[in-house]
Amino acid sequence: MIPFLANIDLAFKALAPRSGDWQGILPEIAVAGLALFCLLQAMTLPKALRYLIPATARIGLALVVVMSVSSAPWTLEPDVETFGGLLCQDLPIKGVRVVFLLSALLTSLLAGRFLRERDAAVADYHHVLLVVTAAFMLLAQSNHFVTFFLALETAAVGLYVLVGYLRRSAASLEAGVKYLVAGGLSSALLLMGIVLVYGALGAVPGVTDSLNFTQIGRTLAAQATAGAVSPLTLAGVALILGGVAFKLGAFPFHAWIPDVYQGAPTPTTAFLGTASKAAGAFTLLLLVTGPFAALAPKIAPLLAVGAVLTLLAGNLGALATTDVKRTLALSGVSHAGFILATITVALVLPDAKVFGYDVHEVVVVYLLAYVVGTFLAAQALVALPALEDHRRPQLALRGLLRRSPLVGAALGFGIGSLAGIPPTVGFIAKLLVLALLVAAKLWWVLGAALVGVAISIHYYFSILREAVVRPTEDDEELAPLELPLGTRVLVFVLAAASLVGGLYVLG
Amino acid sequence: MDTFPATLLALAVLAPILVGLILLAGRDLPRGFASGFAFGGFAVPAVLGPWLLVLWSDPATAPQQFESAGFWGFGFALNGLGAPLLAMTSLVGFAAGVKALTQEVESRNTYLGLILFMLGGTLGVFGTNHLVGFYFFHEFALIPSFILTLFWGGEGRRPAAMQMAIYLTAGAMASLAGILVAIDVAGVPYGEATFVKVADGLQNAPHIPAAVGALVLFGLGTLASLFPFHSWAAPGYSAAPTPVSMLHAGALKKFGLYGIILLGLSSLDIAGGSLGAWFLWFALGNVLLVGLICLAQRDLKQLLSWSSVAHMGPVFLGIWVCGVTGQADGLDAAAFLMVAHGLSCAALFLLANAVRARAGTYRLDELGGLAARTPVLAAFFVAATMASVGLPGFGNFWGEVGVFLALRAQPLWLQAVVASTVVISAVYALRAVAATFFGPATETLEKRWAVAPFGDLGWAERAAAGVLLAASLTIGFVPSLVTKSVNPVAAGVTTYSQHNAKASAKPAPTKAAQPARR
Repeated sequence: MIPFLANIDLAFKALAPRSGDWQGILPEIAVAGLALFCLLQAMTLPKALRYLIPATARIGLALVVVMSVSSAPWTLEPDVETFGGLLCQDLPIKGVRVVFLLSALLTSLLAGRFLRERDAAVADYHHVLLVVTAAFMLLAQSNHFVTFFLALETAAVGLYVLVGYLRRSAASLEAGVKYLVAGGLSSALLLMGIVLVYGALGAVPGVTDSLNFTQIGRTLAAQATAGAVSPLTLAGVALILGGVAFKLGAFPFHAWIPDVYQGAPTPTTAFLGTASKAAGAFTLLLLVTGPFAALAPKIAPLLAVGAVLTLLAGNLGALATTDVKRTLALSGVSHAGFILATITVALVLPDAKVFGYDVHEVVVVYLLAYVVGTFLAAQALVALPALEDHRRPQLALRGLLRRSPLVGAALGFGIGSLAGIPPTVGFIAKLLVLALLVAAKLWWVLGAALVGVAISIHYYFSILREAVVRPTEDDEELAPLELPLGTRVLVFVLAAASLVGGLYVLG
Repeated sequence: MDTFPATLLALAVLAPILVGLILLAGRDLPRGFASGFAFGGFAVPAVLGPWLLVLWSDPATAPQQFESAGFWGFGFALNGLGAPLLAMTSLVGFAAGVKALTQEVESRNTYLGLILFMLGGTLGVFGTNHLVGFYFFHEFALIPSFILTLFWGGEGRRPAAMQMAIYLTAGAMASLAGILVAIDVAGVPYGEATFVKVADGLQNAPHIPAAVGALVLFGLGTLASLFPFHSWAAPGYSAAPTPVSMLHAGALKKFGLYGIILLGLSSLDIAGGSLGAWFLWFALGNVLLVGLICLAQRDLKQLLSWSSVAHMGPVFLGIWVCGVTGQADGLDAAAFLMVAHGLSCAALFLLANAVRARAGTYRLDELGGLAARTPVLAAFFVAATMASVGLPGFGNFWGEVGVFLALRAQPLWLQAVVASTVVISAVYALRAVAATFFGPATETLEKRWAVAPFGDLGWAERAAAGVLLAASLTIGFVPSLVTKSVNPVAAGVTTYSQHNAKASAKPAPTKAAQPARR
């Protein structure tokens, strides 16, 4: 037989999934199936029954959340590789899945009314949203650069669509193009890095698959001990980390964030801010503690400096904004700094534990707190009627508490949680991160984080101030806001979660 | 073991918070019902606070009887320093509550609810022995104060609230860093980080970074308005609505000092080395510079705000001298002054607002001759001023005299500077009294009287101010009410701090000092 084909045969045999492997990704399959089902509904259902589409998506997502938190065949041990080494659940998988699923569910709840008001198709939005969610869930389990890149690109393409979804809005389209260019650049960096690593390690004896995380990790460990890591590999790793930093929105790869977040439809902005950022956080954590773990002494200072700069860039940038979406976008950059700081701890002090949580779990807790805060604030924004979705000056919030105490409360709890005010879950999450930084003795990062929090109070309170202070005489005609019952319940549940969640985490 | 005291303590902290929650949720509750309910929220701690102090001083009750576990990882507990402060806070809260109930404000239920949150959070700070709990309740009390000032404050509320929020958050972050590092250095798991355990851990720690003490001192010092981190305080207190000024200047400030004493002084050697030198100079800044600023004030509420900053000077000096000499008397006096100042300062803010309600202004040059029209108000105000400047009979006297006595071994110039402040504070306080109440009535006042004749102090204000002044007189005549519970803690803290100061000289301590809990 031709050797080439023999190789393919071998590869096929190695990669051929065992029946048990499929069980490991049942939640992902369910979400992808749900995406297809949405499309199917859109094709078959009469117009009058179209409202069922988001409903099925939401119920389905809620069921998958329940499915994910249960201990079942889809929750594998951390070092079990499936699909011939393509996938592996190294991260705390329950938390990871819940972060993505919750983001998708809350985005769907945000998007329904928002899209109908703007005469945009609800079914297609849900379809794309679910595909992206499934891709993200798969991405966080990838153990091979092929699955890694495929999942990442699937998600990215979907997100391009979601960002530019409002086709009649120039701002949305502009944001879509900007995101496409920025995302394309990041993908290019990533791919270039992968290729370099593939090439540099492929020639090393004993390596059969230089895209497999486990093999890369083993090879790099051996090379690092011998002090023989080639510059080519290092360049590749640097490019890969740069590509991932784009997704996370870390300095200096955060420049696209304000424009894209501001221009995108608000539900997409919330999804970008939570799920996409979480994907960046999880992949970075996965890479630096997995395949690149041996390079920790080189990567850790890089991440620490990145964390300091991200915290400062995000907070100082947000200080200079007056548009709420832009402020929240840049404050999201500062949150990425917090996550980056936590990931640095994972490299410096891998066994660190605070309040019984290890570093990986702290990342999950932080992201969950961030999801709750972001969606509360987003609910408040979406509830406000705006002529143009991309223009939400702080002044538009004036008198919000008077117009609708509930929306005011949503904004208050959301911003409170994002700012890290006790007793919200955001405070507890920040406390965990700060405690980790102390344990790892990363004083500069700790200092930047604390300075950042102090700065952030100014812009967070500026937002609240408009909502809380008395309206002036001219604003008296501002009408009260009416909210549907479902939204009211949702806001109440999220606000309660932001309050009780923190105490639950500590207790 | 009888856990009755623990129930009382938990009730005292949780009652205002729960009532506050209900009022916040029920914005449209009928006025009468909300008033009664809120009054209950203010009155329950006011009864329980002094009761807890008495129970605590009773040798028949053990400290453990005050401890109860919370479901959030830190529980309630009391210590000898917290007990009198808790009692003081509960009375200040009651007076502030009575004042708030008589005010006509927009969104009244929310207003009352937030003030109850402030009160509950402050009580929580003094009612927990856990460092994370301490920080948690401290923020819990601070945040409502920003919102209250922003929404219901007086002139200049927006910049003042913003400045307050930024200063206090920056300070809180610094102190949080200090607390976290201290817990880490002490090697205590976060779940068990009580004041005593952390202090014990720090006793045996090989090396404590000097920055930790600085972070705790300056972080919490910002809240306690330590010079030069004080500049938020006077505008903030002035702009805040009166009940908030009362609680903030009277009670909230004290938990900054409380943390400085129990963490900084006991274990972090804040009075030693170059940090100690800075501490002394800053404290003198409070005494002298802020004292001079007070002299220049022409607005009654501004004056009270600044003087409450100036009065922190002796407290800081008491803490400093205790750390330097290793004698507990400085700390005894400082703690006493903390309690007494809370009462007198809150009474003054309350009465100043009564002046404003009648005369329509805080400006001293537009005030004058009020005593003829409102003799009761004048009497109360004079009494509160006397308490504030440390006249014998009121609690402040013991505190200030105690601090001066504790400074007796210090250089003469230091004593002279501190003594001069007694004169300064008497000058500005008495001048304000004279300008407000005595002399001929000003034109502004006459006009005001002609348009809207005003009555004397109402029963609610009399009750509120009466409670505070009565409490000040009580501890003035029976100082043992406070000292019995404070002195053992001060002795314990001193032992710890001396051990720590000498730790570098004697690397192998034979036996760690036992914590004195009572």
